[in-house]
Amino acid sequence: MDRVVVRRNEYRDSAFLMRIGRELKRVPGIEQAEVLMGTPMNRSMLAAAGFPPAAVEAATPMDLVAAIRGRDEAAIDAAGAELARLFEGGDDAPARAGAGDRPALAEALAAAPDANCVTVAVPGAYAAYVAHRALDAGRSVFLFSDNVALPDEVALKRRAAEAGLLVMGPDCGTAILSGVGFGFANRVPRGPVGIVGASGTGTQEVSCLLAHSGVGVSHAIGTGSRDLSREVGGAMTRLGLSLLAADESTRVVALVAKHPHAEVEAALHPVLRDLGKPVVVRYLGDRGRGVVDGVTYASSLDEAADTAATLAGAEPRTPALPSPAAPVLPGPGRLVGLFGGGSLAAEARLVLEAAGVRCRVPDRPLRAGARIEEDGNLVVDTGDDFYTVGRPHPMIDQAVRCDLIRTAGADESAGVLLLDLVLGDGSHLDPAPEIAAAVADARAARGGSPLAVACSVCGTDADPQGLTRQASVLASAGVRVEVSAARAARFAAALIGGAR
Amino acid sequence: MNDDRTARSLLRAVPSVVHLGLDDVVAGIEAAGVPVVRAAFLPPAGGDPGRVRRLQRLFAPPLGPRIDAANRDALDRILASRPCLVGVAVARDAVPGMEPDLFLHAGPPIGWDRMSGPLRGAVMGGMILEGMAATPDEAARLAAAGRVRFDPCHHHAAVGPMAGLVTPSMPVWVVEDPAAPGRRAFCTLNEGLGKVLRYGACSDEVIARLRWMADDLAPALAAALAVRGPIDLRLLMAQALQMGDEGHNRNRAATSLLFRELAPALVRAVPDAERVARVLDFLRGNDHSFLNLSMPMAKCMLSAADGVAGSSLLTVMARNGTDFGIRVAGLPGRWFTGPAQPVEGLYFPGFGPADANPDIGDSAITETAGIGAFSMAAAPAIVQFVGGSPELALSTTREMARITAGRNTEWAIPALGFAGAPVGIDVRKVEELHLLPTINTGIAHREPGVGQVGAGLTRPPWECFHAALDALAESLVES
Repeated sequence: MDRVVVRRNEYRDSAFLMRIGRELKRVPGIEQAEVLMGTPMNRSMLAAAGFPPAAVEAATPMDLVAAIRGRDEAAIDAAGAELARLFEGGDDAPARAGAGDRPALAEALAAAPDANCVTVAVPGAYAAYVAHRALDAGRSVFLFSDNVALPDEVALKRRAAEAGLLVMGPDCGTAILSGVGFGFANRVPRGPVGIVGASGTGTQEVSCLLAHSGVGVSHAIGTGSRDLSREVGGAMTRLGLSLLAADESTRVVALVAKHPHAEVEAALHPVLRDLGKPVVVRYLGDRGRGVVDGVTYASSLDEAADTAATLAGAEPRTPALPSPAAPVLPGPGRLVGLFGGGSLAAEARLVLEAAGVRCRVPDRPLRAGARIEEDGNLVVDTGDDFYTVGRPHPMIDQAVRCDLIRTAGADESAGVLLLDLVLGDGSHLDPAPEIAAAVADARAARGGSPLAVACSVCGTDADPQGLTRQASVLASAGVRVEVSAARAARFAAALIGGAR
Repeated sequence: MNDDRTARSLLRAVPSVVHLGLDDVVAGIEAAGVPVVRAAFLPPAGGDPGRVRRLQRLFAPPLGPRIDAANRDALDRILASRPCLVGVAVARDAVPGMEPDLFLHAGPPIGWDRMSGPLRGAVMGGMILEGMAATPDEAARLAAAGRVRFDPCHHHAAVGPMAGLVTPSMPVWVVEDPAAPGRRAFCTLNEGLGKVLRYGACSDEVIARLRWMADDLAPALAAALAVRGPIDLRLLMAQALQMGDEGHNRNRAATSLLFRELAPALVRAVPDAERVARVLDFLRGNDHSFLNLSMPMAKCMLSAADGVAGSSLLTVMARNGTDFGIRVAGLPGRWFTGPAQPVEGLYFPGFGPADANPDIGDSAITETAGIGAFSMAAAPAIVQFVGGSPELALSTTREMARITAGRNTEWAIPALGFAGAPVGIDVRKVEELHLLPTINTGIAHREPGVGQVGAGLTRPPWECFHAALDALAESLVES
């Protein structure tokens, strides 16, 4: 049976809503608990899920809606009581820990005339509004929010570019400005390489690989994944490049992005060529074209990082990571890649395909269970919307990915698992033990045939999680650890090849 | 401090960050030892996608700066106006557009059919007073048949508390800004508490008091003012704010100050000592005497901003007991309405929420001008009357400062470090902060004739602000 509880004028952020939802699902007899704001989209979603439309329709975007499905009235009542306790249970109730007397954005900016960047992680429906308000006050924006309409992004960036302000995003995961990491960022030394990145994890991997070679990053300017689309036209990529060109601490420039729209790429090449500093480009999914007019178009993030390190006068190096006590042997069977970073999944797939390992990207979500329902070698990005609706990103919450590791690993049709792990601020604080446990469970559930697991770890020893520490945990669990997605993919490709 | 806040500055020194939303995003910034200012986020414009977009337009260039400038102009005009009490006159002689069969009422336009109990009661009393009907029943019949026409006080430079009824023979205070000849505001004289017309009472004693006010009280006050000369109401209000009034629900200090101003002049102007005593006794016995002056003072100030093109500041908040209406400086002549809301507060013994009429009266003009709930911090004692704690009085004024364009420094509030009263309600800020104005008000019984049953706090309905925002967005074009 169903019940819908509407709490009027109770706006809460998604992290809080998820937490309340989790608590309600723990109540015995509760089968489903959706805790959402009453936006039109959420209302129609709840109605589609079969909750009483009349109750749902009464909610506004300012109202909190708890839609609870349980096996009987007693269970629903218990969940209702738990919901009330979470909000009204005195000073200790989770709902008490709210925003308090924080100022609104315009007020905060008026009180902080020196503030030069606004970081935004609000629901996508409101993100453009907030970003515009930051621009109204003449401040740059780090726009972590996604689900911002493309025309809004175009308008924001056009406006920002005219004002000499950055709009990093929407859907911008990573930036490092004057040594300070925004969003998901690794703790890398400062140095001569400036990065403009439309790919968050791509930027993270390049910055870490540079760090391994002893080369630091001056700045990493995020642009959001659609910046090089035809519509956006690279507005922030251009501004980022010009900022790095003028920046005295930057000697080498690296551009990391998904493959741009052809017109945008054509227009960007002369900008890169005439930047006045050595430029390395990594367009993800691109096979590389070598050096064109002095601009290096690298074939992988590794190559981009190594080239940038070389241009900065350093010798590319790969740190020695802990390795498993026993050799990693392939099982007979296919490869399943389960990634947390979308760009890293794309990099791995390119390497696999180049090595002759044909891969599929399933167009529906893999489901945790007894067997994998998709055929062939698979590369799955668990950061895809399929998996993240109502959940944090897999770089923060690995539950979905770990379940899939258990499912795929236990399925003896799979012989090789290919994983990634992205460390740094913003990410899960200790991810390797969860992955190691999932791998151990998977192996235990198999009938004895070996399961090879390779995992790239993007991080540094300065990161809160510690590269060596995480790698040790994985190695102890019999996982082959590499410093880049491409290297891990090459290792996996060799195993698959060897198994054939 | 570096004046450059463009993107270049992010590459020159450690960024200075203001954050909005999920905390994980700034974990690294804080881990690096860089302080992050956290701002609170609420969906703007009630989360309605179209309205969010319109609101964004009204803040962004080119419209945003244009509206900001218009609002500064409107605020300057409000603050430059100096309403003075100049006299007492009869409505039919003084109030512009007054006609023999025209009754003015509080709030936005409304017909007899939709009027609430207190307003109907006042209309019936008004008809008896004007000799149009002999009994309330007859008056009701005639009113329903269209014997009188109705118009909002605000259409005639007037304001009235509660029912706000102004009939042609009623005496009115005349308030005028000497620096802007012709900019006047009018309000009836306060009847006192208990069974009074403004709460819909229309019994014989009510009518008798109104007749006495017209025949005895008003001429005496007029004579006194002629001797005394104009009384600067803003100055008097400034003193009252420092004596614990807020000018809407607490007028004890201002009434006393008015008494001080009038007493010598009354003695000089009115030879009959007994009559002087009657007048002074009446003022002394009614703490709300000054409400009927704080209201036209506020009206006079706000009317200075009426019609300032592009301004998003309110010039009126008013209720007729059924609808709540607001008017916007840049959209002259228009009302934006929604249902009048219940009042949350304290009830007199024997009464409860079931007895209450929805919010009624033009007295929210005081909040619109920066007093009333907006200056509640000056009047902590009022919480004994409207409910809440002294802290609520302080926090209400602080909150209202968030939705206003500026402050009236002449109206300094001691408890807030002598900060001025917050004035100039900006429709955009109300929508952005999802923060409605607070109004201090009395609670009328829903049946005619019972009177006041309590006092408390209320807010306008969102519909007014949504409609005003939409109209502003429609009226202004980029170019």
